[in-house]
Amino acid sequence: MKPFLMNDPVSISRRYFVERCSGLSLGAMALGALGREVGGAAAAPGGEAPLQLGLAELPHFQPKAKSVIFLTQSGGPSQIELFDQKPDLHKWAGTELPESVRKGQRLTTMTANQKQLVKPAATRFYRSKGGATVGEWLPHTAGVADELCFIKSMCTEEINHAPAMTKLLTGNQIAGRPSVGAWVSYGLGSTNRNLPEYLVLISKMQRPSDQPLYDHYWGSGFLPSRYQGVKLRNAKEPVLYLRDPEGMPRALRRDLLDGLGELNAQHLQEKGDPEIATRIRQYEMAFRMQSSVPELTDLSGEPEEVFELYGPDSRRPGSYAANCILARRLVERGVRFVQLVHPDWDHHSRLTSWCTARCRDTDQASAALVLDLKRRGLLEDTLVVWGGEFGRGVAGQGKWDSPEAGRDHHPRCFTMWLAGGGTKSGFTYGATDDFSYNVAENPVQVRDLHATILHQLGVEHERFGYRFQGLDFRLTGVEPARVVKEVLA
Amino acid sequence: MKRRSLFVGIPLWLSVGAFAAEPVQFGRDVLPLLSENCLNCHGADESNRKGGLRLDVREGALASKDGVAAVVPNQPDASELLRRITSRDPEEVMPTPKSHKAPLKPAQVEVLRRWIAEGAPWGRHWAFELPRRMDPSGGSAAGVHPVDRWVRAAWERAGVQGAVRADAATLLRRVSFDLTGLPPSSAELEAYLSDRAPGAWERAVARLLDSPHFGERMAMWWLDVARYADTDGFQSDATRTNWPWRDWVVDAFNRNQGFNAFTVEQFAGDLLPEASAEQRMATCFHRNHMANGEGGRDPEESRVDYVIDRVNTMGTAWLGLTLGCTQCHTHKFDPISHSEYYSLNAFFNSIDETGAAGSGAKPVLEYKSAHAPAALEEAEQLVADAKAAEGAARLGARGAFGEALPGWVERSRRDFREWTPLVAAGLESTEGTVLLQEADASVRATGPHPLQDEYRVAARVGLSRVTGLMLEVLPDAAHTGGGLSRGKSGEFILTDIKLQVRQRGRAEVRDLKVVGAVGDYSADKKANGGYGDVKDTLDDDPRNGWSTKGAPQAEQHVAVFRLEEALVLEPDEELLVELRQRSTLGDANIGRFRLSVSDQLGETVSKLGPGPLASLAGSGVSSAEAVPEDLKKRLFEQFLEEYPPYLAARQRLAVANAQLAEAKSAAGKLKVLVLEERKEPRETFVLLRGIWDKHGEQVGPGVPAAIAPWPAGEPQNRLGLARWLVSRENPLTARVVVNQLWQLLFGEGLVRTPEDFGLQGERPTHPELLDWLAVEFVESGWDVKKLLALLASSATYQQSSKVGAEELARDPQNRLLARGTRYRLPSWMLRDAALRSAGLLETRLGGPPVRPYQPPGVWEELFMGRFKYEPSLGPAQYRRTLYAFWRRAIAPTFLFDNAQRRVCEVRSLRTNTPLQALTLLNDETFREASRVLGARALEQGGAGSRGRLEWLSLAVLSRVPRAAEWPVLERALQQALDHYTRTPADAKAFLRSGQAPLPAAALHVDAASYAVVASLLLNLDETLSHE
Repeated sequence: MKPFLMNDPVSISRRYFVERCSGLSLGAMALGALGREVGGAAAAPGGEAPLQLGLAELPHFQPKAKSVIFLTQSGGPSQIELFDQKPDLHKWAGTELPESVRKGQRLTTMTANQKQLVKPAATRFYRSKGGATVGEWLPHTAGVADELCFIKSMCTEEINHAPAMTKLLTGNQIAGRPSVGAWVSYGLGSTNRNLPEYLVLISKMQRPSDQPLYDHYWGSGFLPSRYQGVKLRNAKEPVLYLRDPEGMPRALRRDLLDGLGELNAQHLQEKGDPEIATRIRQYEMAFRMQSSVPELTDLSGEPEEVFELYGPDSRRPGSYAANCILARRLVERGVRFVQLVHPDWDHHSRLTSWCTARCRDTDQASAALVLDLKRRGLLEDTLVVWGGEFGRGVAGQGKWDSPEAGRDHHPRCFTMWLAGGGTKSGFTYGATDDFSYNVAENPVQVRDLHATILHQLGVEHERFGYRFQGLDFRLTGVEPARVVKEVLA
Repeated sequence: MKRRSLFVGIPLWLSVGAFAAEPVQFGRDVLPLLSENCLNCHGADESNRKGGLRLDVREGALASKDGVAAVVPNQPDASELLRRITSRDPEEVMPTPKSHKAPLKPAQVEVLRRWIAEGAPWGRHWAFELPRRMDPSGGSAAGVHPVDRWVRAAWERAGVQGAVRADAATLLRRVSFDLTGLPPSSAELEAYLSDRAPGAWERAVARLLDSPHFGERMAMWWLDVARYADTDGFQSDATRTNWPWRDWVVDAFNRNQGFNAFTVEQFAGDLLPEASAEQRMATCFHRNHMANGEGGRDPEESRVDYVIDRVNTMGTAWLGLTLGCTQCHTHKFDPISHSEYYSLNAFFNSIDETGAAGSGAKPVLEYKSAHAPAALEEAEQLVADAKAAEGAARLGARGAFGEALPGWVERSRRDFREWTPLVAAGLESTEGTVLLQEADASVRATGPHPLQDEYRVAARVGLSRVTGLMLEVLPDAAHTGGGLSRGKSGEFILTDIKLQVRQRGRAEVRDLKVVGAVGDYSADKKANGGYGDVKDTLDDDPRNGWSTKGAPQAEQHVAVFRLEEALVLEPDEELLVELRQRSTLGDANIGRFRLSVSDQLGETVSKLGPGPLASLAGSGVSSAEAVPEDLKKRLFEQFLEEYPPYLAARQRLAVANAQLAEAKSAAGKLKVLVLEERKEPRETFVLLRGIWDKHGEQVGPGVPAAIAPWPAGEPQNRLGLARWLVSRENPLTARVVVNQLWQLLFGEGLVRTPEDFGLQGERPTHPELLDWLAVEFVESGWDVKKLLALLASSATYQQSSKVGAEELARDPQNRLLARGTRYRLPSWMLRDAALRSAGLLETRLGGPPVRPYQPPGVWEELFMGRFKYEPSLGPAQYRRTLYAFWRRAIAPTFLFDNAQRRVCEVRSLRTNTPLQALTLLNDETFREASRVLGARALEQGGAGSRGRLEWLSLAVLSRVPRAAEWPVLERALQQALDHYTRTPADAKAFLRSGQAPLPAAALHVDAASYAVVASLLLNLDETLSHE
């Protein structure tokens, strides 16, 4: 009925199998295919494997970007300290936020019972050639500001972390929708043979964070689960169950898989169910991942200057900075969607120690990633997205002029930046009012951001959906979303 | 998930074209077309209606506006609808291109033309008509099984034939999985294969239905429906104790409670006259939703969410309707209005709850579980055993200690040094402080003094290992007031400390985990902006840290840090120590300090002051005999710290004790969340756009008029609601439930969208059969076992799942049921089956949740260490997956494709991914099962490889190997034998999994080799599949 709805009834490989080959005698054809694959893999482990296919009708048009790196800053970085300079704010310092500005904005129960007294930014600002403003706590970001495209007019409705982050990453505040990365890998498939097409890297922190990172943030929702983000863990085992147990050397594992493949092939011939052929392929992919993933995460081949570029923390495996190097390596290997998550931006108190700590964790490496991609010629077709689920309010939380003060959540405006992937560089889009409280011009909703990301990947968001429980779902939802053409080069 | 769109999903031979000869049926042929293409903009939802036209009711379709009507009965050419769907003008054609819907196909247009020509008769969607028991028209013989009659009628129409009966072993395996979730034991298989008397199959089915494992299998279905979990979900994810309800579910299925009573008790057990504790507990069904305790969240918003979740769950599980759509607006397709949705909410809106999560949630039932004492007894035994083992290990260490002591005395008399100062190979700071090391190894801060800074010290270490670090903060005349810092106050703050190791020539560093810190003085945290306790230097949080403000400023201070594991440095590795001062106000960098390291475990690195060996050195004794008794005791404790056999026993005892503590609390009074009305009912309002605090009109309790009338005389409360669900007037519940039960045996329902029987759902593949079964189910008194026995006794169920290329191409999804459906078993069944095949399964019913093996660190990672996962010790490890602790924020890692238990789910998901392969190859449960299988094959399979491989195949696959399989198995065995004979250490390593005892050393090579073959068999597609 709908050309853009292509729910696959069975695994894609199976669909491919049945549709492309239905004229042949199945047993013969399957065994032929298997002979090549299993035998080939046995002869040369890590050999050619079938690519995970996307939807036949995608992309809708020539894409600008092949890959996306989403640098998720979880907790809500303060746009007031970091990007959205308001030089006149000090005039209002300590006075109550006018109701004409606040307009009934809902507050969390953490500050609902205190006066909303204006707290000016704790930072001074850099100004780039292109006119972008970046707070002094992000000196490296400021240094590459002319490569970036800032959106100062992001807005959302959600005021608590889980719903707001769920919305930023899945388009809806209620858990259960596919994440951006899942949509992308479902629609576009993979361009590499040995790794999943959507990978998630979470910074290793020592401090327990108050906001857990739910699996649904990178979940597949109602899409088949193989599209969900695969989390690379900061452990000996980057993927769960990846390492073979002690006493099971690689050669013996290969022998076992050969035997397994042979018996499964016999069974396929007996039963005729193409799902068995898929199973055989997946065991082979698992075997290849056992070498491709450790190869990916082993940074020992990276030259010293790379670590110098990404900063001292990049030497510590699992850090945000080390994950930035991994992100670049993933893009080099053709992985479609890479999502970094850095927790604990939730600075309700003590901006000078809390917010600055997260800035130091991320600033140099984020900037280095952009530079590194650029010098390798990868930035052109890699879209980098930096941002959190919401911003912070202009009122101080706690006593506004105390060093103890922080800022509460604020959904009405926040700043994100984009780089590469066909976006403008050195450009700032949108503006907020004098209090960095409301969007003054060119609001960008989360769904607009999603539409723009899809657009750069060659996908028209309105024609890309999935039918579930009788309804047609799209990443961008039912309310009108627009591609923010103004930020595109 | 198994369909592309409505029409592609319907097999070709049932598609509209096939009915050219017979009259168009509105419900079957027309309504789906209208629903798919028109109702989004021309349906019941007024807010979204375009051009004032509605096509969901006949009056709307026939209404004339300016002399134009969408439908003019008998006059297709005068009907605007037909003109628009065939128009070529992009401004006129429907569906409008803006909707991104494709134009209608000629065959579809033809259906609408004929329908109008035939008078445009109207009707209802099939699922809203009461099910009727009809006799099959095309079918033939009486005496044919009712299921088979309908299925065969469809075969005849399509011109296909069914498959042959599957072989006996396959069938027994299939039905054992379907009815108990477990494969047959060898004895059961043998008994069945040798039962040649008539009725053998029926006897086998009856035996399985009588098995206590039947209830467990059914409960796994129902727990997914009920979104049951052992925690709240969301941020705090607090633990709840609703598991007695889970045991109630198992029991309800085992005693075959009618599904109607099962429904009534779960909706309104508390409202029944003289309700028993169990009947009240049954209502926990509606309290199994997630609960949000996120800071900053309004509890009332959460409470509204819970009410909505209950209504949506009822919609999915009983009515097969996507009621969730009506939270925000009137349903676009099904006849449920926005306000009717909130009338359903009204039934659940006056529960005596506050929206709080965790321990604050109410109402609760205090309940003692009859299954808890057995778990307690098991844990007590476990602790008793572990204690005895710990005692024995302690005793066993005496001898070794006696041997070591003279050496210790000797060493203490030479040049024992408890702490060795670090001599820096590199000194640097981030913000500009210049660090200089002096002759006494102290390091002095000079030059600029920034507000915040990090000091980094790199040093080679001469010790054979490093167990901890000592930091001395030293006063100096150059500091303010002769104090500890160059800052204004003379006080220092240390916000965090980091230890790392770096190898020469390698860019990467590795972190060392510091697990303990003790200092000689702590400032009052409250009075000092959060800075005081030295332990706070371990959390990487600059908002707290160590300060000694309040102690005399000109005195030195000391702190000792303990590493989690003793560190052995390679010659080309150096230790990196980072001291951070990133405090909020700053200006408190340490002015002078000295770092030292120790190689001593125990007291030295966990207390201040000399450790046992230092005391020994200080005591001046010259022989082991002369060591005073109290010092000897301390030395023995020190010795135990390094004695691996003892450490293992101590660790096991600690885990056993923790398990006992849990079992004790599980045996006490538990709080089970239940339903209970509050005294003052709440008013219920329509929520505008579904937003919790945007009230529209007020509504009272009521049910959607289009589904079924309210049963006369029933109270307007949950009890009445439950009886409405299971009333004979309700066209949905019996069909929806029967469909889910069918799915348990056939993998897919007769309606392949089990959650959606509405207009946007799929039509049944066998509508008359579904109706027949629904009526039968109701008339049997909603007898679940009887229905399942009926399905299992059909020839349809017993068909072979073999498929030829032609059949596959014609009916890839087996919608005609002309073969047995083949699919991968749910992951929980795979785990249970592996345990049973290996003889490890612990078959006890009920009791507190257990923790199967899971890779270390998964919970810790998600919650940054707030929750720790410790796999269960003892028999608890081998309980069925039903009893696995379910943390809502992160489901058990070994379960793939399972419902996430966040919302009600009735559809099973089946994917095929490399991650599943890795899980089944490397998960500890499967590894332990493999090696136990291997060891048992050696014991029970006779002396030769033939008998042993045969034994393994029987245990795992319920059959012996086929001729073509033998060479593959023998080769796999030989390859393993070759390897392990060459490398026996690998054999031992491979056998080290789980807690079952290791076989004798002489058997390691054989046991490991058969374990490899067992692992191969456990991973066969056949083992994983419902064959």
